Amino acid sequence: MALLEVKNIHKSFGGVKAIQDFSIEADAGEIHGIIGPNGAGKTTIFNTISGVYTADSGEVYLNGTQITKLEQYKITRLGMGRTFQNIRLFQGLTVQENVMCAFDPQSRYTVLGGLLPTPKRLAEEKRGKELCEKYLEIVGMKDYLKERPENLSYGMQRRIEIARALMCEPKTLLLDEPAAGLNPTEVGELTELIRRVSKQIGFAILLIEHRLELVMSISDLIHVQNFGKTIAVGTPDEVRQNQEVIEAYLGKED
Amino acid sequence: MSLQIILNGIATGSVYALIATGFALIFNVLKFSNFSHGATMTACAFISYFLVADKGLGLFPTLLAAGAAGAVVALFGEFVGFRRILKNHSSATYFFVSSITLGTLYEGLVTIRVGSNFFNFPSFFNKPTIGIGSLVISTTDVMMFIISVAVLLVLAFVIQNTRLGRALRAVSFDRDTAQLMGINSTRMIQSAFVISGVLAGIAGVFLGIKYTLYPSLGSLVVKGFIASVIGGLGSLPGAIAGAFLLGILETVLLSLLGSGYSTIATFAVMLLFLLIRPQGIAGSNVQEKA
Repeated sequence: MALLEVKNIHKSFGGVKAIQDFSIEADAGEIHGIIGPNGAGKTTIFNTISGVYTADSGEVYLNGTQITKLEQYKITRLGMGRTFQNIRLFQGLTVQENVMCAFDPQSRYTVLGGLLPTPKRLAEEKRGKELCEKYLEIVGMKDYLKERPENLSYGMQRRIEIARALMCEPKTLLLDEPAAGLNPTEVGELTELIRRVSKQIGFAILLIEHRLELVMSISDLIHVQNFGKTIAVGTPDEVRQNQEVIEAYLGKED
Repeated sequence: MSLQIILNGIATGSVYALIATGFALIFNVLKFSNFSHGATMTACAFISYFLVADKGLGLFPTLLAAGAAGAVVALFGEFVGFRRILKNHSSATYFFVSSITLGTLYEGLVTIRVGSNFFNFPSFFNKPTIGIGSLVISTTDVMMFIISVAVLLVLAFVIQNTRLGRALRAVSFDRDTAQLMGINSTRMIQSAFVISGVLAGIAGVFLGIKYTLYPSLGSLVVKGFIASVIGGLGSLPGAIAGAFLLGILETVLLSLLGSGYSTIATFAVMLLFLLIRPQGIAGSNVQEKA
């Protein structure tokens, strides 16, 4: 069974069918791009997979565990990390604290340890800090531990969000428009970063993105969504040739 | 202005600080003012009065009982009054209605038990006052100050340096994102209620000692509310600063103007703050989410 398996999920809001019959199978080391015009239901797919919404029908499996109806925090703890279209870092917490937040649910110490500095807790805190530094180093933000995210540039905030998602120790990483609002140089660095973590850590990555040069260059497989439906699945080259995809993006020729 | 008055003000302020932080904590996490906080204080003060203080067991067992009662009452309130509203992401108006209803309920229950009589905590100390030079301070005031500050220091440590505190802050800033980072928001909100309940219990006992114990004692929560408005709604350090400021201001005004006008003057100060600096001393970080 693949690491992430989504089987025929549907989701409607009132009369709007936001997702119709979406399926995906993603394994470690793979990068799947999800593209489509605005309102195609891409973020809804992410929200349904990560538990913000519950699918009307269909099933989601993470590493063999059925997670379709689980609560969000439980899904996260099973190994789902994600970033957001509009950056959602905790303002008012430092970079380090932001990243540590995602580690805390995994750290193991008792209520007593919460109050007193027991050896176990100190060891766990140390492990957390080390992991935090490791992931911040991977995204190239290690020098900003004590900064507040709101004082940093957009590109940097995106990187911190990725570090925070990595801190969840994910088996599947959902990146929702990671390149939105970045300048061309930053997009290049981000592409390089995504490629690197995919190889280094080895999880499945799902990537929603409007910057086609980014998606096309790093995705193994591309899913094209339009009005809630999957209109094409294939390698970047196949998708580029697909008549229906061209129509969805550029309109029909008369 | 004599030092004596300032000292009394600081002691009063320390109790206000307990109320205000309990209030601010919930405001932070849920973005609404928990108006059942006052009645929780009254209920806890009475519970500990009948269970412990009445049997002559001393101040610390009384405070422990009140704190424990506070935790239980607050958890009950969270479950009955707020859980469903939170789950549905309903508007803050419902919290408002729900918390006022809960408060009225608690107060009603207390009234049924005790009537509208006044009760007095037994005096916990052999020596009612401590003399330092020409200053005479009541032992209760000193203990109140010491215990309140100790409690607040522990709270500050927990919020700043522990996993629980970090998770609480994360949930305060964005409940939904915190969930997606693996934090059990419901559990964190419960924790906030427990902490706030414990603070309410301790504050209730202190108010009962300082004034008397009566069913509408909880209306003194207004002082905590004013303090947290002056400090900046949702900011804990602000709430504490606001509380001490208010305590001192009150006793000073009391000695200058007498009890009638000093109350009016206190409210005038709050209105002034709302007019000139609505975000409070701390300039709090409560913002609309984008």
